[in-house]
Amino acid sequence: MAAVPGGRRSGPAAGARFFCTAGRGLEPFLMREVRSRLAATQVEYISGKVFFTTCSDLNMLKKLKSAERLFLLIKKQLPFNVSSVSKGKILNEMQRLTNDDPESWLNAISIWKNLLELDAKKVKLSQKNANPLKRKVGENDIIAKKLKTEQMQEIQENKECQLEKQIEEETLEQGNFTTKRDKSQEELQNDVVEAVGTHNQNDLTFRVSCRCSGAIARTFTAQEVGRVIGIALTKQFGWKADLRNPNLEIFIHLSDIYSVVGIPVFRVPLASRAYIKTAGLRSTIAWAMASLAEIKAGAVVLDPMCGLGTILLEAAKEWPDVYYVGADVSDSQLLGACDNLKAAGLKDKIELLKVSVIELPLPSESVDIIISDIPFGKKFKLGKDIKHIIQEMERSSHPFPGHFCGLAYPPAVLGTGALAVNRTEPLPTWGWHSSVGRQIMNESTG
Amino acid sequence: MKLLTHNLLSSHVRGVGPRGFPLRLQATEVRISPVEFNPDFVARMIPKVEWAALLEAADTLHLVEVPKEPIQGYEHDESFLRQMHHVLLEVDVLEGTLQCPESGRLFPISRGIPNMLLSDEETET
Repeated sequence: MAAVPGGRRSGPAAGARFFCTAGRGLEPFLMREVRSRLAATQVEYISGKVFFTTCSDLNMLKKLKSAERLFLLIKKQLPFNVSSVSKGKILNEMQRLTNDDPESWLNAISIWKNLLELDAKKVKLSQKNANPLKRKVGENDIIAKKLKTEQMQEIQENKECQLEKQIEEETLEQGNFTTKRDKSQEELQNDVVEAVGTHNQNDLTFRVSCRCSGAIARTFTAQEVGRVIGIALTKQFGWKADLRNPNLEIFIHLSDIYSVVGIPVFRVPLASRAYIKTAGLRSTIAWAMASLAEIKAGAVVLDPMCGLGTILLEAAKEWPDVYYVGADVSDSQLLGACDNLKAAGLKDKIELLKVSVIELPLPSESVDIIISDIPFGKKFKLGKDIKHIIQEMERSSHPFPGHFCGLAYPPAVLGTGALAVNRTEPLPTWGWHSSVGRQIMNESTG
Repeated sequence: MKLLTHNLLSSHVRGVGPRGFPLRLQATEVRISPVEFNPDFVARMIPKVEWAALLEAADTLHLVEVPKEPIQGYEHDESFLRQMHHVLLEVDVLEGTLQCPESGRLFPISRGIPNMLLSDEETET
């Protein structure tokens, strides 16, 4: 159920149920994050999604760093049984998703509207404070116009999103799912205006995005399922389908483990950061690594192979009272990093050096924390230097005994390896090492 | 390159060791730009500062009002912290050189980024 039982008008104050998609291996980070950032309860992880309940508003939800996308939960139930049952029967079953319990749909939608309204009001309020003369203008005009100017800094184009391909291993049948990757924050806010303007539920336009995986994907295409659900929704609630620019998006995932229905809370995935111009390492992973390093205020943090600076950007946003230094041997990477820093407004927090990781021009024990995504794959060459790299890192950081935390991915997936090292405190190690990761661990302790 | 960074850098030319610190600074283009003052952060950086090196660099850049050393109770002395904030974080060397005091080797600073790559012959392996 989307809402904690407590009445039709339960808004965020009563606590709403959400779920996030998360990249493989990031689920423990996400679970920890929702608990600490959002005071989430009933947190559970099932097959690539983290479900949780929270009273937080959009502002707080927006801050999640280890999630791919965020959805408001409408329904989660047992998977459809596709074995030895006729196709027609299964389609009937699917219609029950919408027909059996219309309350849950309406509840979820009202929560969703409340969230957006609350957000729009906050923005409007801050604008009002800034421009006291414009009070006479009509309400919706204010929202639309002020949101536009207020959100200028937060407008982002969605760049380089390889998210859906890489997170979920399932067969990606796009169906009705149009990839509106260039939808900016501004457009979202305009949708808000439309959505909140629809006083009557019957005015809602919607679009269904469906994903099928496992056994059900062998029997149905996502389009078929999407169509059936779409028709059922129109029948049940009177909404009109709009594939181009709907008020409401419905997301359905049918797998062997569950059937999940939700409303995407933001048009743009959380993993797409407004403050990162050109991503190197995926932002969620960069943040996760930085979080492992347990960065404390007043620390000196070095990324000796910073590339475009993604890890430092994520870290500087989260832990600002810290001195960050990024180093790389490549001019083009440093230029890109410089660009990124400017675009993120972090030029004053992160310094760049053109320096080789095996010859760090730093006095011994001058750095508190070293975090790096070590290039293993085919894109960048590393050679036999890995041992020297570890040695240089050890030399330049404080000599407190610490663990190396190896995060390494099978080269087929990402082609990179990553290390987060905190020399001032021991760290837990995580269990997703590839053989390359293990090799680092052996060489460093041996 | 900010002076806080300069304070951290040491020459790694072969055989130079600790005599490679501090690097002698020469600047042809310097930019002074305001940076948000965070007293907590500055206070935490003070213990890490190598003062002789900082004063030498500040002198080269003709900076005034540079504290000569940390004063008692600096954590709560706003004027001291502001002065340090300015010296460490608001002065950006965009073009210039860093020189190894022992070997004389010059490292260029370009667009604010020091290039400290050594050639193969110079590295310590």
